[in-house]
Amino acid sequence: MGYRQRHAIPDLGVGVGLRTPHVAHVLRDGPPMDWFEIISENYFADGGIQRANLERAAAAYRLIPHGVSLSIGGTDPIDPGYLARLRALVSRVRAPWCSDHLCWTGSGKVDVHDLLPLPYNPETLSHVIDRVRRVQDELQVPFALENASSYMEFEASTMPEHEFLAELSERADCGILLDVNNVFVSAYNHGFDAEAYVDAIPADRVLQIHLAGHTHKGLYLLDTHSDHVRPEVLDLYRRALRRCGSVSTLVEWDESIPSWDVLSGEAAVARSVRDEVLGATSKEAAWGASA
Amino acid sequence: MGSLRLDEVQALLVGAVMHPAQLDADAAPPASALLRPSARGMTRASRLEVYREQFWIRHLASLTEDFSTLRWVVGERAFDELLRGYLQAYPPRGWNLQRLGADVPEFVASSAPWSADPLAGDAALLDWAFMEVFDAPDAPPLDLRVVAAAPPDAWPQARIAFLPALRRVVTGHAVHELRAAVKKGEKCQRPLAAPTHAVVWRDAACFLHAVAVDPVAGELMRALLDGTRLGEACASVAAAHPAVDAETFDANVGQWFQQWTANGWVCAVDI
Repeated sequence: MGYRQRHAIPDLGVGVGLRTPHVAHVLRDGPPMDWFEIISENYFADGGIQRANLERAAAAYRLIPHGVSLSIGGTDPIDPGYLARLRALVSRVRAPWCSDHLCWTGSGKVDVHDLLPLPYNPETLSHVIDRVRRVQDELQVPFALENASSYMEFEASTMPEHEFLAELSERADCGILLDVNNVFVSAYNHGFDAEAYVDAIPADRVLQIHLAGHTHKGLYLLDTHSDHVRPEVLDLYRRALRRCGSVSTLVEWDESIPSWDVLSGEAAVARSVRDEVLGATSKEAAWGASA
Repeated sequence: MGSLRLDEVQALLVGAVMHPAQLDADAAPPASALLRPSARGMTRASRLEVYREQFWIRHLASLTEDFSTLRWVVGERAFDELLRGYLQAYPPRGWNLQRLGADVPEFVASSAPWSADPLAGDAALLDWAFMEVFDAPDAPPLDLRVVAAAPPDAWPQARIAFLPALRRVVTGHAVHELRAAVKKGEKCQRPLAAPTHAVVWRDAACFLHAVAVDPVAGELMRALLDGTRLGEACASVAAAHPAVDAETFDANVGQWFQQWTANGWVCAVDI
């Protein structure tokens, strides 16, 4: 039995990131949207407007926490306070899973608040597997790691990222959040084959897909989440859907955030691609079965 | 470099990412030897530079949003210099970007040339108070039945609990008025020195406010915030202001308490 089936991971359809410029509209008008992803750390506080908005949003929509600061590949101890807050958030919004990135964010108690890549080799793999297991034991819901965009590679790497991620997910028994824009960006930056990357990811472990726009900086692509999803990335999305099947999809847009109409239009584009590849699938079917 | 442990690799990279000046092939940090050059012609140092540039963009933007009054006081160019100095003196610690500016008041108060401008110190204190109350824990409203049912002779033993989302800020200028004007985009002038006890708080609807309070009321709040019982707090503050007669002082305390409860500042009375 595959990972998604074993954990009754639902296909929530196509959602977008819940971001500040749209919160008032979403809470007041309740526009149609399959689901929202929330940045976990933005909702860790014990009070204030973010927490109040979270309660209201969770009452109307399915929310999935997506973190940026767990530092699963870091060498500082995992912060137990952080994990406790993440677990409380997952419980509060009744999330069927949560996610973070395959990266590290700091060292020596300094946090640079970025998603830094790891050297991909057996030593790092053992280190990350151990930390993923501890996180999953704490969270008690399926946990997925996203392939992050990267701009540097290590001389000490002995395996490609997709192989590292695949082996990590199998040995730690975790899910994968496949960001096809990140695959595209990193493939350009490092000169690997994006299609081969998607083809090598264990399809049954992919419990969510990310789409986003990026920025061409000349010698490299920067993962800015500041524009429409590029047609080449949508092609990669088609390929991922053909392999993974009916998987929740999320459109990220975090800089130069457009109007709600533009953002929801971007989600509609992703939805049409899904329908084109998968046909009219019954999202929430697995959720309904497990609820 | 290939024999370094992962923690050593990460420590080297953090140093490079936080480097204050641009990295290039002529000024490549030791960490660049850990990396491969890119197939598209980027040097090892220029690949690291992508992360270094983002580090400064991200953290400067975050602090700029958090310290709008301080920015106005020191001016835009000096503010950038101030923040860069701050981030080198106090590197980001922990996952919470909301806490990034926690040491800005201390930095401004203790670092030249900023420490020479008392208004800059006041602005930093007030801006940080706003950050603290933004997401401080919620608290249930005061149960007025407890207040109404309390016998008069029990009050001296009472402990007054204020909202977790409330800060008392003592400054040498009415900097809360300056902040309000800056936030509205109004034309501002540097305020003259005017010792001020301000209270910054988040109301039940999550709006943030700041008002000046009577300095004596501010002193009483300080004692109560420290956990001193009401009777003892009143006695010590009254002793510090012998010119105010006891009857007037007691009447003032009654008015202040009504004002505090009307503002929603008091969340519990332990009698």
